[in-house]
Amino acid sequence: MESRKDHAGFVLRVRFVKQSKWLQIGIQYGGLIAVLALLIAVFSACSKNFLQPATLLTIANQIPDLTFLAVGMTLVLIVGGIDLSVGSLLALSSAILGVLMANYGWPIWAAFGIAMLVAGLCGTINGAISVGWGIPSFIVTLGMLEIARGATKVVTSSQSVYIGSQVEWFGQPIASLRLSPAFLIAVLAVIVGQFVLTRTVFGRYCVAIGTNKEAVRMSGIRATPYAIAVFAISGLMCGMAGLAQTSRLSTADPNGAVGIELAAIAACVIGGTSLMGGRGSVVSSFIGVLIIQVLQTGLAQIGVSDANKQIITGSVIVLAVLLDALRNRLSHRS
Amino acid sequence: MSTQRFKRRGLLSAGLIIGLISFGSCSSDSGSPTTVGSGDSSAAKPRIALIMKSLANEFFSTMAEGAEAHQSAHANQYDLVVNGIKDERDLSRQVALVEEMVASGVDAIVIAPADSKALVPALRRAKAAGIVVVNIDNQLDQDVLKQENVTIPFVGPDNLAGARKVGDFLGNELEGSDRKVAVLEGIRTSFNAQQRLKGFEASMAEAGIEIVDSQSAEWEMSKANTIASSMLSEHPEISAILAANDSMALGAIAAVKSAGLSDKVKIVGFDNITAIQAAIKEGKVLATADQHGDQLAVFGIEVALNELAGEAAGDDIETPVDLVTKQTLSAK
Repeated sequence: MESRKDHAGFVLRVRFVKQSKWLQIGIQYGGLIAVLALLIAVFSACSKNFLQPATLLTIANQIPDLTFLAVGMTLVLIVGGIDLSVGSLLALSSAILGVLMANYGWPIWAAFGIAMLVAGLCGTINGAISVGWGIPSFIVTLGMLEIARGATKVVTSSQSVYIGSQVEWFGQPIASLRLSPAFLIAVLAVIVGQFVLTRTVFGRYCVAIGTNKEAVRMSGIRATPYAIAVFAISGLMCGMAGLAQTSRLSTADPNGAVGIELAAIAACVIGGTSLMGGRGSVVSSFIGVLIIQVLQTGLAQIGVSDANKQIITGSVIVLAVLLDALRNRLSHRS
Repeated sequence: MSTQRFKRRGLLSAGLIIGLISFGSCSSDSGSPTTVGSGDSSAAKPRIALIMKSLANEFFSTMAEGAEAHQSAHANQYDLVVNGIKDERDLSRQVALVEEMVASGVDAIVIAPADSKALVPALRRAKAAGIVVVNIDNQLDQDVLKQENVTIPFVGPDNLAGARKVGDFLGNELEGSDRKVAVLEGIRTSFNAQQRLKGFEASMAEAGIEIVDSQSAEWEMSKANTIASSMLSEHPEISAILAANDSMALGAIAAVKSAGLSDKVKIVGFDNITAIQAAIKEGKVLATADQHGDQLAVFGIEVALNELAGEAAGDDIETPVDLVTKQTLSAK
């Protein structure tokens, strides 16, 4: 996590830090992991069934959808954009998958291919319009949110489509590992996402674009294709999330994932990704996803009332952002 | 420099979160309405998880309160954990709740499913884990149950018959030539919505009344208000609106009023929530159906307790649905 100050003047520096690598990682993620550990400790104290393999594995197998979305969202936020259409794109790819498999008898790989194609295309359209024509991505993706939701209802005739066991394997735990393929691939997406962001030219350009687009242009780099590609990646992540959710439910739900874009944004922000662009980490967003899910599962397990659940969840989000702002201020002072 | 920064951050967040959570758990310890009975009591007492739809909807919160009252009266027999979802469409979260309750080791799950198909696989897995499952309120899809090769007893009202009672009453009240009506449907994926629509349609067909418009307002008041308003401007001749639940009926009242048609357009609902009773007494709403929501979860819990006590899984149980009008309210 580097502050914006580190990027001043747009210098892509490779920093050779003498500290041990593990210490560095500890410093970078320490705060977030402490929050997560604390939540787990509190819930374990409240319910003897919380810190059990069954509960933890349940949590792991529930997060793939949000994890995929958070990976895409982190990249979008880093280039200084926002993608509000992810919930609808998730539902659309899920609907395409469901209708092709259940109504037309397509095999899963073919149906999934089409779903990914459509999701990726919608993401590209988001990027092309917002980046290409300089229109705020907030409004472009808000439009896509409505369009894709409407398309979902057209595709499914507003009926939930039951698919059954052909799709279930992806979201259900493998017997020997007790983890689902969806979870393993979601974790892989986090690792690849973090690698791309920190170790490739593409990733460093993304950070640079989010920090100071004008400086990037002045350096003779064409920012547009990179920013569009980021929106396309977000679209593809929606396709993956669609598969993950569909397989977990065995059903394509046209009303599914309404409002999940806010959870994805919250996960990124809890992880310290800046809404202003230029700063963020995929791994931190993943920890943000874990915090949200642990909170949700824990509160359900100890049976906190619905109203209090919302109050607590909301407070944790605001606090995380507050802490981030504080951290920023401190780093500027020093 | 950065080490210090992060230390401070970690410390601060730790403090704040501890404060927050202890606030949360304190409030639930000191008699929060949702957890009744202690979670860590002896293993002899079974734990039952009640999984509801949106607890923001009065119908479901009444149902939950009924269950909690029953639990406190039978505190020596079982413990109860109540959970709901944020809104009626969040079925992914409801499936997650089923999985979480299985993981937390409950003995029985009593569930009002948000979707009649999508919950079946999760409930099949719960049954496979040795948990007693009872379906209340919204009946699971028979075809999917068959495909998944699982039987789950259903305890609940016959929504079709209930909607027919309301529809027939309205049919008798509508006289003269203005015999055109509109329907506000629930979420089309839900079995309840389909059954209530069928009931309304059957009544209207029998009374020879035409349904000129029928749209889903997804059980929601504000959405019903918007849709009812556009229905009224599109079909100013309609003389009644049949809403598949009371929240939507309340949305329709406001739409009718702002269209200046309060005297002409009659409204009926379904569920008998408190707010609708006032509207019925004032004559703004003609009738609704009472499916005794407060007892619905209790019926389900009793079925679960019987099965836990070793009785064979029972057949479906039909609970009563009664017509509520101005007369029945004043008779009380």
